[in-house]
Amino acid sequence: MLRPTIRILVTAVALLSVGQAAAALNVVTTTTDLASITREIGGNRLSVDSLQDGTRDPHFLQAKPSYIMLARRADLWIRIGMELEIGYEPVIIDSSRNARIRPGRPGHLDVSERVLRLDVPSAKVDRSMGDVHPQGNPHYWLDPLNGRIIAETICERLRELDPPGAEAYDAGLAAFKRKLDTAMFGEGAVAALGGDELWELSRSGALDAALESRGIVSGGWCALLGPHRGACVASHHRSWNYLLGRFGLVLAAELEPKPGIPPSSRHLAEVVETVRARGVKAIMVEPFYPPKAAGFVAERTGARVVVAANATGGDEAATDYVAMLDSCVRRLAAALGGGGQ
Amino acid sequence: MRRFLRLGCLALGALAVARSSPAQEIGRSWQDFNPDISIIIDGFFHYDDSDEGLGHVLSEVAGFGHVHAGEEHHHHGPEAGFNLNHLELALSGEIDPAFKGRAIVGVTPEGAELEEAVIETTSLPGGVGMKFGKFFSDFGRINPQHSHEWDFTDAPLVNLLMFGAHGVNDIGAQVSWLVPTRSYLLLGAEAFQGDNEATFPYIGGEPLPELGGPRMGVGWVKWAPDIGERHGLQLGASYGFGARQEAHDGDADGTLDHWLDGGARFWGLDLVYKLDRPAAYGRGDLLFQCEFIRRDMDVEVVRHDPNPALVGKHKVDAQDGYYMQLVYGFAPRWRVGLRWEEVGLTNRTDLPDGSVEDNDPSRRLSLMCDFSNSEFSRLRFGVTRGEYATDAGVQDVWSVAVQLQVSLGTHGAHKF
Repeated sequence: MLRPTIRILVTAVALLSVGQAAAALNVVTTTTDLASITREIGGNRLSVDSLQDGTRDPHFLQAKPSYIMLARRADLWIRIGMELEIGYEPVIIDSSRNARIRPGRPGHLDVSERVLRLDVPSAKVDRSMGDVHPQGNPHYWLDPLNGRIIAETICERLRELDPPGAEAYDAGLAAFKRKLDTAMFGEGAVAALGGDELWELSRSGALDAALESRGIVSGGWCALLGPHRGACVASHHRSWNYLLGRFGLVLAAELEPKPGIPPSSRHLAEVVETVRARGVKAIMVEPFYPPKAAGFVAERTGARVVVAANATGGDEAATDYVAMLDSCVRRLAAALGGGGQ
Repeated sequence: MRRFLRLGCLALGALAVARSSPAQEIGRSWQDFNPDISIIIDGFFHYDDSDEGLGHVLSEVAGFGHVHAGEEHHHHGPEAGFNLNHLELALSGEIDPAFKGRAIVGVTPEGAELEEAVIETTSLPGGVGMKFGKFFSDFGRINPQHSHEWDFTDAPLVNLLMFGAHGVNDIGAQVSWLVPTRSYLLLGAEAFQGDNEATFPYIGGEPLPELGGPRMGVGWVKWAPDIGERHGLQLGASYGFGARQEAHDGDADGTLDHWLDGGARFWGLDLVYKLDRPAAYGRGDLLFQCEFIRRDMDVEVVRHDPNPALVGKHKVDAQDGYYMQLVYGFAPRWRVGLRWEEVGLTNRTDLPDGSVEDNDPSRRLSLMCDFSNSEFSRLRFGVTRGEYATDAGVQDVWSVAVQLQVSLGTHGAHKF
């Protein structure tokens, strides 16, 4: 009776230790999107865990003891930065007693260094303005181009920490880029111009003209949202302007009177006015925000509420980073009408 | 202390200057070397229906008398009307690759006192951490918390009566080890000089023996099994022991007339459970917390002027207490909480003359409701009904409080 149990236990322990030995690096990320991108780059070489599960407001997280244990084992800690994690990261890293992942060490990676930032205050900010971040709006992962930049940053650090894996990481990065580029521009455009060129064009705003002059029909997200260039969209929190901006859409109103302050009825009355005046057709809301405010505005204006997860794991469709963006784009396009499927 | 404050003000001024500069990150880079500065202002309005004020009642709870050794007796309870708990000024930052430090000063209209001045290691191997300076002992839930971290307008009775208004906060050193197990297990040992007003008072000097420090030790363990993404559970156990000396003026003629020397020990159990629902602005979040503490004290009469025959006889005390509290986020930014507590379920004093005092327990029920305008400001209403067993009989007291807490600057993240 006891022997088989012991044998199973021994096997389990052996499997566990093999599993741990197989991973070249233990990576802990603050958000699920960072975990998703890291997994695509590192594949089986890495053991990747995320603190967030994608279903919650990424500004807030209880510094649970289980997160401290993840941090204790980590060789690499990856964060969004720009003060998104300021409410829980310091206490988790301190409590983990893991010097490898303290800020400034090679095991600590802030992926915001090279991304394109929005809402960087040009004048002094103070907290009467709500939850403003002095370094800019931290929801930058919702711009697919930033997803690409994040992947490059992560790949570089992985190569540094685990040189024998450099080739594998490069291959993982290339595969991730191909997947993202295809989802963004469609296969035809990627085959004709290559991802790097396409993103350069997108960044400089010359994409449509360049494709047209070459007679290339874009696919993917560009095809879905391209027809809506210039359309006005509202959002609950100031998180969606990165995604909207990439496709030339305009964030015309926010349901929160100030970032992080829940909607008030007085502010919603103003939003209703703006939504009517600017012809806003869609209101984007993350699943964790109370749906009432968006419903209130939608009822009075005919705008459609788009509930979309802003993080991998935030709903069933958001199975990885690219799938998350894909479901956001499709839902938004459907709400805007016409081009959506 | 003044100088310290002035330094703080200077640093604040420098911060303000830097912030007004339009150059973003470059302008801010030199400022990275400044410590993080935060100020917490915590004030409240208090009303209660007792004759002499709740502070007086609390200082008279049977079995929990203070030993002030001839010092002027002043109690820390709330006064009717407006109260400023204190202004907490905190400075913290990395010292070098091996240490970080923080200093916290509590400023009241009467003056300033050092709450914490701690140097902590950051880079020891093997999950070991060390701490040195003046700090709150990390045993239990309430003791390590600063008053602005409490979920109610006041501290639980058991903490207040056993360890005084400041808790176990002393000069000492701590070693702790985060055990490399799958689930969270943290072991800690602390040695303190030993100067807790309520349980571990040290007087020293004739006729009491002079004792060198450290005179007090605390050990604790915290264990947190992983019970799922949305749930957090942490269990703790603690044990503390140390020297205890008493000096009394038995006939109240203004001169001390008997002295006792010995020791005290306590043990405690604590539990906290948190449910973190996905809804934004804290809606649906739940927090349950409870703690039990028992103390035993044994002191021997070393000199007794009115009755020298008592010299060598013992005074033995045993008291306990617990609280349990539940806090629930019932709407975005709104929380409601209920706390039930009892102290003195065991409440026995064996006096040197052979007589026994069996004191009654005291109990209290508190209801609170708070609203957080942002992460940085909170308005809280509290109603408490207490039945306090005092030498003058049971006193029933209703009290209400309206509390406003704000936090300015960069305040460190709070622990689980």
